[in-house]
Amino acid sequence: MIEVDRLTKRYGACKAVAGVSFSADRGEVVGLLGPNGAGKTTTMRMLTTYLAPTSGRARVAGKDVLDEPLEVRKRVGYLPESVPLYVEMRVREYLSHRAALKDVPRSRRRSVVASVVERCRLGDVETRIIGQLSRGYRQRVGLADALLHDPEVLILDEPTSGLDPIQIREVRNLIVELGEAHSVLLSTHILSEVEAVCGRVVVIASGRIVLDEPLDEQSSRVLAVVEARGPIDAIRAAAETAAGVERVTRAERDGDHATLEILAREGQDPREAISMKLAGNGWPIRRLDLRRSSLEERFTRAVSQDALKGGRREGE
Amino acid sequence: MRHVNSLLQRELSAFFLGPMAYFVLLAFQVVAFLNFWELVDTLAQPQREFSSLRDPMSTYIAGSPSFWIAMLASLPALTMRLVAEERRSGTIETLLTLPIREYEVIIAKWLAGLVMYWTLLLPFAIYLPFLYRQAGFFFDLGPVLSLAIGLTTLGMMMVAIGLFFSTITKNQLVAAIWTFAVLFLLVAIAPLFYVYAARQRASWAEGVRFVAILYQIQGFAQGRLDLRVVFAHLSTTGFMLYLASLWLASRENRV
Repeated sequence: MIEVDRLTKRYGACKAVAGVSFSADRGEVVGLLGPNGAGKTTTMRMLTTYLAPTSGRARVAGKDVLDEPLEVRKRVGYLPESVPLYVEMRVREYLSHRAALKDVPRSRRRSVVASVVERCRLGDVETRIIGQLSRGYRQRVGLADALLHDPEVLILDEPTSGLDPIQIREVRNLIVELGEAHSVLLSTHILSEVEAVCGRVVVIASGRIVLDEPLDEQSSRVLAVVEARGPIDAIRAAAETAAGVERVTRAERDGDHATLEILAREGQDPREAISMKLAGNGWPIRRLDLRRSSLEERFTRAVSQDALKGGRREGE
Repeated sequence: MRHVNSLLQRELSAFFLGPMAYFVLLAFQVVAFLNFWELVDTLAQPQREFSSLRDPMSTYIAGSPSFWIAMLASLPALTMRLVAEERRSGTIETLLTLPIREYEVIIAKWLAGLVMYWTLLLPFAIYLPFLYRQAGFFFDLGPVLSLAIGLTTLGMMMVAIGLFFSTITKNQLVAAIWTFAVLFLLVAIAPLFYVYAARQRASWAEGVRFVAILYQIQGFAQGRLDLRVVFAHLSTTGFMLYLASLWLASRENRV
């Protein structure tokens, strides 16, 4: 549905996006994650044909963004970050104006508008002037607009910014629901949002992709944390030989106790094997629990590693 | 071209729902009223050799400084927001990611500008039937008609120029200033150049006279329907609209 191949955007000497490649299939919700100024919006603008890439290719719904911009636009619903709307129009009037421009046939326009109004819960404001609406309602008007022509691909730039917690949950549910039939690319810097709605995360930092992975696979890899009394090196060696253990990632001494972080093999829970092993050797266990490696940790690691590399690049 | 209608409707409703349209209209109404007063006043005087009775439309519109000042001040104010406003508010992003062609946007905006321009001229038109029927002043309809044609093609050109500047800038004020500068050059400075050139017997004098809008419209007001001028207006219009479409379609100029 979305194929991005070494996409680059340059503004003068500054590279806003530097050779980004990723893809998204039908029915996939992909989260584009990154710090401010990472190039998320620029990437999305290139995919919606608003900006032209300096180099690289991108295909959306099978159409090239440079060669067939009109075909791409017919298949994409786009919600820009700032949710620009014509503030002097009324909600329903605006949506039916947009529907006309998106070639929704006149006979179906009324029912299409009614259905997006219902989907985005705009019923109680549909005759209000957009300029008088709160940020949350405007966001939903923008989302309703993106859904009007039933696009194959939805590109949503920070769809939940400025919403209250209840609205955020509603919009997330809507995105999950939409993700069943469409492909959705959404950008955000809220990590929990990605975990809540996305099947895959693409982390972008200073214009480059630093992490691209499916979310379920990573969350099935777990870290076991063990605190036991005894000689740290011996404990470490014993733990490493327990069944289901990939390796020990961290070992620290804390008084008489050793604290270990143990990475499990994929899909396995090594806690029982570890406890048998340590108790068998006569090292009492004070703590033994599981920690999933959170998206936040991986995000921070990926972004800060990139910052380090960036520093090195600058130094060269 | 099937989207032009929808785009035009929204453009006009935005214009007529705001206060701007009515302020400008009111200002033109005042100017039209004063000019009409002056016209009636001159017409009431006994005929002399060089009386303005010979071509009342020049007194009323074409040769009237207040008409041109009002036009030069308000036309840039009307055209400046056409595209620049969309850029400022960010709606350009949702507009240009619609499955429509950029020239459709330009044509719709230009037509909207043209309607606004005609609205400006409306106050001048409404007095004439009174003069004709009520006062029984049977002026020639020919010059009125040729002036109407001339003002229409001139309006097409001026709106296209304004639209072009509104397209290439983000700041409405910059667009207005550029539009004003170009129109001021054509309306007011060109005649001065012509006078200078004619005095020097320069070969380019006739060329400057041809592009001077003031002389063009005075010609129309005297009943000379100069098709060269009409053609010049229309071709400039086409060229400016083409440039504006190219600029709007270029994805390099966006930020």
